Amino acid sequence: MEIKSSEGPIVPLTMLRDGEAGIVVSIRSGHGGGRGCGFERRLMDLGLTPGTKVTVVKSAPFHGPLEILVRGSRLALGRGMAERIFVEIEKVW
Amino acid sequence: MVKKKLVIALAGNANVGKSVIFNHLTGLHQHIGNWPGKTVERAEGTLYFKGYTIDLVDLPGIYSLSTYSLEESISRRYIAVERPDMVINVIDASVLERNLFFTLQLLELESPMIIALNQVDIAKKKGIEIDVNRLEELLGVPVVPTVAVKGTGIFQLLEKAIETIEKGQAEERVKVKYGKEVEERISDLTKMVENTRSQYPPRYLAIKLLEGDEEIVNEVERMEPSIVQHAKKLASELENIHGNSCSTILTSERYEVAGCIAREAQKIIPPRRPTAEERLHSITTDKIVGYPIVALTLLSMFYAIFAFGNSASETLSKIFYGIEPLFAKIFGTGIFGALVWGGVIEGIIAGVTVALPYIVPFYFLLYILEDSGYLSRIAFLMDNAMHKMGLHGKAFIPLMLGFGCNVPACLGCRIMETERERLLAAFVTTLVPCAARSVIILGLVGQFVGIQWAFALYAFDLIVIFILGRIAFKILPGEPTALIMEMNDYKLPHLRTVLKQTWFRLAEFIKIAFPLIIVGSFSLKLAEIFGMLERIASFLSPVTVTWLRLPSISGITLIFGVMRKELLLVMLATLLRTTNFAEVLTPLQMVVLSLVAMFYIPCIATIATLIKEFGLKKALSITAFEIIFAIGLGGVASRILAMIL
Repeated sequence: MEIKSSEGPIVPLTMLRDGEAGIVVSIRSGHGGGRGCGFERRLMDLGLTPGTKVTVVKSAPFHGPLEILVRGSRLALGRGMAERIFVEIEKVW
Repeated sequence: MVKKKLVIALAGNANVGKSVIFNHLTGLHQHIGNWPGKTVERAEGTLYFKGYTIDLVDLPGIYSLSTYSLEESISRRYIAVERPDMVINVIDASVLERNLFFTLQLLELESPMIIALNQVDIAKKKGIEIDVNRLEELLGVPVVPTVAVKGTGIFQLLEKAIETIEKGQAEERVKVKYGKEVEERISDLTKMVENTRSQYPPRYLAIKLLEGDEEIVNEVERMEPSIVQHAKKLASELENIHGNSCSTILTSERYEVAGCIAREAQKIIPPRRPTAEERLHSITTDKIVGYPIVALTLLSMFYAIFAFGNSASETLSKIFYGIEPLFAKIFGTGIFGALVWGGVIEGIIAGVTVALPYIVPFYFLLYILEDSGYLSRIAFLMDNAMHKMGLHGKAFIPLMLGFGCNVPACLGCRIMETERERLLAAFVTTLVPCAARSVIILGLVGQFVGIQWAFALYAFDLIVIFILGRIAFKILPGEPTALIMEMNDYKLPHLRTVLKQTWFRLAEFIKIAFPLIIVGSFSLKLAEIFGMLERIASFLSPVTVTWLRLPSISGITLIFGVMRKELLLVMLATLLRTTNFAEVLTPLQMVVLSLVAMFYIPCIATIATLIKEFGLKKALSITAFEIIFAIGLGGVASRILAMIL
């Protein structure tokens, strides 16, 4: 699968503002390594594979979780996890 | 086919209406237990159709067949090893792509299957139109559209399942075709594993070996270690080509196929105005308005439960104690009569007057909230607060339950993903002041010392919960899990499913708690009759009198409190022969006694639940810790508070 690396800036999902969308580039596995990769698996099983478009609908206050739209489903993602998902911001047209 | 007995399994994502279909098909002929040796629920039911006796198994709701969770590995094992005659894959028409990802994995397991395309009504509302024939063609598997909550299509679904079993499945089912480099390595590995005696299909084994699936790798390792070595080599080749882990590559490609099929089979014309469900979602997760709505919902829920519970509880005890004279006439008032009445019957009464009035409405309302989808919005809003204790948003639900009764609360901890979090949540939950503890705090401290002291105790309890939760979170090995949760569209709860869930929870409570309550109250009665209570009291006096500075009699009440916490107050009144506690206890003693009562031990029914969910060792550790903690705290408090009170 081709990842266009030259188009937009690559930032953690938490950097997107409400309503903005991005394309998943990579998911950084958790600290400690080893067993941490479980979350990565989970996220991918829910459709957050590289190349997928993710829209941030809103984030809960006080650094709460993010509400995102991915492949037609609505997910709540803890902020700590969202920080590890790197996306390329879609070009503003 | 002469086989008259069939096994059919229901599989699919969470919240797609599987249990509603299950209820429609099996009616009252069902039982809910656990998978052998696991805390995962297993729902099974029987139905009769066209001369067949069908055993229907409702598999847990999952998103994938990897081994991320216990539920997933159980489901996979069940389908591959027990080989049901038919798997009905229930999919949510409004989230087709994500659901098809799971369908593709089921297809890779090569079990016979048909698809129930459920919630087509919700999909339609969202402007999603699905061409059923096209979907059938693309997948090579029969598809039956259903609206389970209305019972639409259920009969056709069953008919199609039987027809497919009788005729056998068509052979041209869709196969996920991965990229060329991947396919080459899959067929290479497939040839190698063909001769192993695994229960899984060879191609499936090959795919999972490449993905590095722990369970499969271990299984093949035991049979033929060289294959695993080879698979590792192939996987790292692929990783070099793609620059991603092998499981990422395969998952992406699988999703690619799911996306293609979904795009081919569905047409989406988003409605011009947001639907009512959509607007409700926006309001209930709003950054400002969302919180008052949560507070209001929970407060009215608690109010309703306690209002209903109180009056129902009173009525029930009146009825029960109404038969006491009659009972005394039959069994006499001697030792035997006293034992049977005071020991056995009163134990049952205690159970019934607590369980029915409070637990039933609690569960009922909770399932309404869950089924409608609101619970996941609460979890979304509360996630941040829960994180401070190393838990995530979903843990808020058992914690709330704890204010009613710790038993359902501990059972409710099952919604947490990992064993570690279940235990952590359950531990915190046992510290939440349940209804019975509220009776003590309000009845003793609130009434005789001052309501501000009662509130201070509540506040202190919350602080303790927070601190102990944090400490436990640091001590318990393992990483915290972040919240990953689907927020399904709002829908009207299906009443019959809610009622059934409530009923099963109640049955569970009765099974766990009643035997212990009865045995407990029987032995206490026995101890009372043989005058053991005074001896126990004096045995405990170093703790109660010297350390906690309470009257010696309180040792007995603390023991009764283990049965049901509010018995502590009842026994206190009985033993001291007054309900004006101010005559016999100093304000300081009342505060200390309530403080100890709040923490000193989970009640016997909660201990039983902990044993059931986490095993004897962990249950006893929690119990032992709480006894020591409460006594230590009580002694310190009695010395510090002596300066104020």
